[in-house]
Amino acid sequence: MAEHRTVKLEVQGLHKSFVLHAVDGRRINALNGIDLAIHTGEHVALVGSSGAGKSTLLKSVYRTYLPDSGTVTLRLAAGAAVELTGLEDRELVALRVREIGYVSQFLRSEPRRSVRDTVARAGRRRGLDHDASLDAAAEILRRLGIGENLWRSYPSLLSGGEKQRVNLASGIICPPGLLLLDEPVSALDPANRESVLALIAELTSWGTTVLAVFHDLDAIERLADRVVLLSGGTVAESGHPTDVLRTLTNPLGAIA
Amino acid sequence: MTPALRVDGLGKIYGPGTTADVAGTGPGFNRVVSPTSGGIVAAWDVSFEVGPGEALGVIGESGSGKSTVMRCICGDEEPTTGSIRLASVDGGGTDLRTLSPARRRALRVDRLAVVYQDPAEGLDLRLSAGGNVAERLTAAGWRNFGRIRERASELMLRTDVPLDRMDDPVREFSGGMRQRVQLAKALANNPPVVLLDEPTTGLDASVAASVLDLIRDLLEELGVAAVVVSHDFAVIEMLTQRVVVMHHGRIVEAGLTDQLLEDPQHPYSQRLVGAARG
Repeated sequence: MAEHRTVKLEVQGLHKSFVLHAVDGRRINALNGIDLAIHTGEHVALVGSSGAGKSTLLKSVYRTYLPDSGTVTLRLAAGAAVELTGLEDRELVALRVREIGYVSQFLRSEPRRSVRDTVARAGRRRGLDHDASLDAAAEILRRLGIGENLWRSYPSLLSGGEKQRVNLASGIICPPGLLLLDEPVSALDPANRESVLALIAELTSWGTTVLAVFHDLDAIERLADRVVLLSGGTVAESGHPTDVLRTLTNPLGAIA
Repeated sequence: MTPALRVDGLGKIYGPGTTADVAGTGPGFNRVVSPTSGGIVAAWDVSFEVGPGEALGVIGESGSGKSTVMRCICGDEEPTTGSIRLASVDGGGTDLRTLSPARRRALRVDRLAVVYQDPAEGLDLRLSAGGNVAERLTAAGWRNFGRIRERASELMLRTDVPLDRMDDPVREFSGGMRQRVQLAKALANNPPVVLLDEPTTGLDASVAASVLDLIRDLLEELGVAAVVVSHDFAVIEMLTQRVVVMHHGRIVEAGLTDQLLEDPQHPYSQRLVGAARG
């Protein structure tokens, strides 16, 4: 691995709060100045207790949440760097097609569209032609253990674990440069979890940069190059997985 | 990139009002009727852009001004102020409001198509399905009967209208089928911009779902720039990437569709999302 790798994603002084206008305009601070740099091809796992800001950080990078202040700078595949928090919505929509992917723990399949079509369409949105998208969908579904007997059914009829893999397949059919994963294996049985983890490891080895939230420590130790511990919406610690995980006095309690 | 459609500072006042009466209306005053003149400020200071292959949602309650905006863009209503530009007209250099009414109307043939909530507005119900599509094709200069029929059949197939119904008058069609014919007609000449006003409102749930699926597929395949006006978050979420929220004639928030749904900023947007999502 090269010593001087480029920074793929740099988060600086990121703040995010939610103002609840229906509840006396109450403000809830979720991120309180996050600083984080991730190199190209690096897999960084976010850990921290519930409410520490892990998912909020992922969504603020993807701009599903609108940050209050701070910057999120992404280096594009072509080499230019783009600041995302202030980017025009239209340009961000375009970046989401090729540069940034987000796979949520929540199963958000499109209604009334078959499994294979759901995944193939994700490929077409990212520039594959019709035939190539169907081939790529078939390949990734097989890799994730979704058998051909399910390809024509609607995702709404699948089990939670199957939906989760369809979600993931759609997210990585054309791997984006930066992949944001929010508990992508939470609903999987051990065998399927294994195939998903292997695939994520493979993506990283091809150069996809990953920022992920996993609730299981084993996945983190296997996949992550670095672990970042969030606490109260700031980075409390950042380092090698075994070091950071060991410093947590009660890792299971802190992470679950 | 030149947007396919650009709307700048669009405003529409009904009744005796003048632009002086805009003061005292809007979300901050919780009213659209001017307190001084009684003029109705149905839309004011509305600006947005839509690029090729992109769908922009316009969401709001009834009376928020969203349909007024659509009608001003397509020429059904004359705006009080503002400009509307299409990349397909003079590269975006000409405000459509400066065009003659005839020229303006002609844009509907192949530059700026509209799909109305009520199919009767977009179709001649006395004509056959094929006839409605043919009307649009002949307006664009198609003369060869065989080729017109061929293109009409192709569009029927694409919009899931059974070919054996092609020669039946549209008034004999169900609501969902009429909406499919309206889509076929709107798309007949491959317009780069399509406006859809509550395209599934009023249809039975299952029919609405299949029409929605069809629209989603068409938008994805054709790469048109679309504006989808709806009060229904499910429609907006399924069809659009970006959205503007209208309230009392003004845009109160503009953002990515997922951002609006998960992190609405404006008090009114929060209320609207909260009501829809429970």
